[in-house]
Amino acid sequence: MVTPALPPPAIVAPEPGPSVSAALTDANVRVTSAFSGAQIVLYGAVFDPETRPSDVVVIVRGPDQPIRIARKVRVAGLWVNSRPVVFEGAPGFYMAASSRPLTEIASFSTLRRLGAGIDHLPMNAPEEERIETRYGVRDVVVSRLGGDYLEWRRAVIRLKEKANLYATDHDGVRFVDRGLFRAEIDLPTSAPIGEYQTEIILFQDGEAVSRRARTITVEKAGLERWLFLFANERPWLYGIVSVIIALTSGWLASVVFRRR
Amino acid sequence: MDIYLPIAEVSVNAGVLVLLGAVVGFISGLFGIGGGFLMTPILLWMGIPPVVAVASEANHVAASSASSVISYSRKRQVDFRMGGVLAAGGAVGALVGVEVFRWLRLLGQADLVVSLSYLIFLGLIGGLMLVESVGSVLRQRRGQAPPKRRDRRPVWLYGLPLKVRFPRSRLYISVIPPIILGIFVGILSAIMGVGGGFILVPAMVYILRMPAGVVVGTSLFQIIITTSLASILQAGRNQSVDIVLATLLLLGGVLGAQFGARASSRFRAEELRALLGLIVLIMGLQMGLVLFITPEDPFILVGSGK
Repeated sequence: MVTPALPPPAIVAPEPGPSVSAALTDANVRVTSAFSGAQIVLYGAVFDPETRPSDVVVIVRGPDQPIRIARKVRVAGLWVNSRPVVFEGAPGFYMAASSRPLTEIASFSTLRRLGAGIDHLPMNAPEEERIETRYGVRDVVVSRLGGDYLEWRRAVIRLKEKANLYATDHDGVRFVDRGLFRAEIDLPTSAPIGEYQTEIILFQDGEAVSRRARTITVEKAGLERWLFLFANERPWLYGIVSVIIALTSGWLASVVFRRR
Repeated sequence: MDIYLPIAEVSVNAGVLVLLGAVVGFISGLFGIGGGFLMTPILLWMGIPPVVAVASEANHVAASSASSVISYSRKRQVDFRMGGVLAAGGAVGALVGVEVFRWLRLLGQADLVVSLSYLIFLGLIGGLMLVESVGSVLRQRRGQAPPKRRDRRPVWLYGLPLKVRFPRSRLYISVIPPIILGIFVGILSAIMGVGGGFILVPAMVYILRMPAGVVVGTSLFQIIITTSLASILQAGRNQSVDIVLATLLLLGGVLGAQFGARASSRFRAEELRALLGLIVLIMGLQMGLVLFITPEDPFILVGSGK
């Protein structure tokens, strides 16, 4: 069967006004036993009939993971953990790369509205909150952490940055040619499994004028996947198998050595 | 060669793990202990999450103990009946211990309890062993006779009900003290990721008054049962046994244990005990140190609520 000759793909006329386009070198990261992190390159282009100054912001957001954080307190001369605080709504991985510092690209309220930048991550500690009436105002959300809330939040970000799971890169988006840019996404070994939402935003004059979304999937593959599923779906059988392996190898070693 | 562990979700060097397993296995065969008290802290320092380290180490201890217990049993140095009674207590202890560990993790206090247990138990036992064995080595050097062992058998050991004969240990005592001892060691093995030999061996000598010849073999036998059970429970309840990690460790471990058992005949018992006491003491202090040092960062992530 002969496929009818398709007309050459029409060059799509750029939409009126500026727009941004982007692609990933690898949208599917396979976590196998050789996995030691991954680097994904995102490249894209800014289409603009006029040459207005453009800024590009790339935001990568991994799957949400509740974060449990404790503070070290000194009790009777010993450093012990306080009761842990659970933060929800925080991603397991977050990266904000931009062509200039975010604060120079757009105003605080614009960034907050877009959730762009680590300072604008909507994470909170619902278990610490209660709703009460204050000064006659009903339904006021009060956090038990009180004024320390910001300190706890900053600690979450600091510890995640130390683990290479959160990153802010003020010149992570580089224009390599007129309108052509690239950014690198570094996933550490500890990057969580799941879907990563990548958003590419074009800013002009402090306003987001065009947005593109891409998805990265990080999944366990091969033997890693099989073992992980086995451990989680048939946990008791998995435990018994691991003990059988242990006892058999111990017994084998002693038999082999006795023969010598 | 770096390898990504499916449950621990970290990447570690496989060769280093096999080598570590072999070294700890050698020490385990040399002293007739499981070696968990050495391996678990090393795994923690390598960045393995505590939950996975403790659970996978129980599996490794079972393997290296199985490797050395067979040679003890050939020499008729295992009191299976006493081991069985201890293990019955150990089973109850492991059940309780796994649940306690789960609860501590939810409270975010697992790290604290692990460090504190290491500091207290290893520090105490290591210190006592060191003092006792150095004393006896010195006495031997000076040509003094060893002090007479107080052979007066404690009333509480014999006054309790449910007496059972243990022919191989030449004992006729109540099963209550060994069961309580077993429970205690079972809890520790689930919380600290150790077999508990370093507690069992002195307790069998000084509390149960068992003959020295059967102590190590019997302790290893009970450790196999307790750690196997702890391992199955950790896998079933917490999904925290990393089979790849455990297999890498036991590859080196079972071989190291055989070489260690052979090397042990070249040393004097007191010298071995002094060396073991020193290792145990250092490990306990090292793990406990974190409780006294002002932390670099006052905050700590305590793992996901998995």
